[in-house]
Amino acid sequence: MSVLSVDNLRTSLVIGGVEYHALREISLSVAEGETLAVVGESGCGKSMLAMSVMGLLPSVAAITMGHVTLDAVQIEAASESVMEHIRGAKIGMVFQEPMTALNPVLTVGEQIAEPLRDHLGLSKREARKAAVALMEKVRIPAAATRYNSYPHEFSGGMRQRVVIALAIACRPRLLIADEPTTALDVTVQRQILDLLDMLRTEGKMGMLLITHNLGTVAGHADRVAVMYGGDLVESATVKELFRSPAHPYSRALLASLPRVDRDLSELASIPGRVPALINMPEGCRFIDRCPHAMERCHTMPPSVAVGESQAHSVRCWLHVQGGEDAAEG
Amino acid sequence: MSEALTIDRRVRRLPPGRVAIIAGAAIMAIVAAAAILAPLVAPHDPYAQSMLARFRPMSAEYWLGTDQFGRDTFSRILYGLQITLWTAFASTALAMLCGTSIGILSGYYGGRVDRWLSAANDLLMSFPQMVAGIIIVALLGPGITNLIIAIAITAFPAFYRMARSAALALRERDYIDACRVLGYSDMRIISRHLLPETLDDIIIVATLWLATAVRTESSLAFIGLGAPPPAATLGGLVREGFDNLLDYPGLAIWPSLAILVVMIGLNLMGDGLRDANDPRASA
Repeated sequence: MSVLSVDNLRTSLVIGGVEYHALREISLSVAEGETLAVVGESGCGKSMLAMSVMGLLPSVAAITMGHVTLDAVQIEAASESVMEHIRGAKIGMVFQEPMTALNPVLTVGEQIAEPLRDHLGLSKREARKAAVALMEKVRIPAAATRYNSYPHEFSGGMRQRVVIALAIACRPRLLIADEPTTALDVTVQRQILDLLDMLRTEGKMGMLLITHNLGTVAGHADRVAVMYGGDLVESATVKELFRSPAHPYSRALLASLPRVDRDLSELASIPGRVPALINMPEGCRFIDRCPHAMERCHTMPPSVAVGESQAHSVRCWLHVQGGEDAAEG
Repeated sequence: MSEALTIDRRVRRLPPGRVAIIAGAAIMAIVAAAAILAPLVAPHDPYAQSMLARFRPMSAEYWLGTDQFGRDTFSRILYGLQITLWTAFASTALAMLCGTSIGILSGYYGGRVDRWLSAANDLLMSFPQMVAGIIIVALLGPGITNLIIAIAITAFPAFYRMARSAALALRERDYIDACRVLGYSDMRIISRHLLPETLDDIIIVATLWLATAVRTESSLAFIGLGAPPPAATLGGLVREGFDNLLDYPGLAIWPSLAILVVMIGLNLMGDGLRDANDPRASA
């Protein structure tokens, strides 16, 4: 059963009276207990996707097409008061920067207890008890005493554990982790990801893991969605993506991974950069950097082709039946 | 050498503003006690007139002498303190309540309403305190309640500005976004996560504005726009004493000194609180 399903989602920004498509026809789903990694470089729309799911788009942005369904609730049609009951209760979110995601003047325990009181209506004493239990669950040592500590008394990793405790406090169906380890030490990153895995399995949560770290994807995700410039360019199981990436961007991304068994004198990179939203090509958005660009790529956004297996889909003319027979890269 | 070092260290260890806070609080405690206990402490009825006791000098019976109606100046100052302090306190509290809440809402939501409110606020702020006070009292008419409202209106912009700018800065913090992600309502975010952080600053502004309110009340009373006679207020007493300033200067000087003491007490407290709360001062 899928916890989250995004169907043909388009999120637009209106700037100076002109409408720009920040997300273009995105479709994906996250099943119970599954981790879907969303990969892509900065500005590809990863966070825009998360905000669309949360119903927390900035005032200039709106969902203009498609559906977002979370646990049988249509997000794009829900009122703000309905969304307030969904956020925090049905969707939890872990942020990139644990240093600033906590209120510096409230104790850690009070902050973890707050969603429990707000969403579950627990009494002060019950919430305190539950908060301590949550702190133990995310492996904060001496939870009962640390309840009264302030965020500045915690290390980055411990703070991220607090943020995670907040996110899972009300047993959400979906956990969105927006680059949860980017701001942490490498040694702590692993612990946090393992903790998220454990909590996801135990709570039967679906997880949307937003990252630009392919190592994280390989180790902690079931499926991957590769995004580029607001398009979902490829979606596959982790195994398939690493074994046979189909989209030129995915291939380039994987090729740019430094490998210990090869010469490291120069790191591979993809020439060029992501076009700005106000300057997007009409057709395929990867066209300026694509080694296989064809005539039709300039004019028409590629349609979705199904790859080797049903779960593998690519948005590229190279793989569409009847497309030009271009050389494999 | 070591002696000097220890002293130096001890002086540094004293938190900034501590001395001023204690001194100011002590002064205000005495003044407030005198005002509240006026009915018990005052040696005479402040309103009892006596043709026989006019313009008495300082004596054991009349500590600070009597005025042209034979009323005891000391007793009138005590009762005057009561009315003046109450007016200042009530008007500041009213301004703090309205200014802070409207300011926070305005800054938090922003948009067109915020722009209009800010513009109106700037307009109000551009009037000198006294001019604004005079206009409002003239519009509302005399009386203590109207005086309180008038002073509150002149004090409103300070609180509005403070609260609005605090809300503007705080709403951009990541943890406020985190609150939204956790599904908290705007009211919960404002009351639990914004208000407590602005409160420190608001209280400091309030203390300093108490002093300004005392001054405004006294000034308005002095030009005859205060509480109507025979009520005793500090500014009113100065005004009454002014009529006989050359012959009996004490009648104007004593209430002036009372105003001075109150102002010093409140300003010491306000400045001390501000210094104690300033992270740059506590290095």
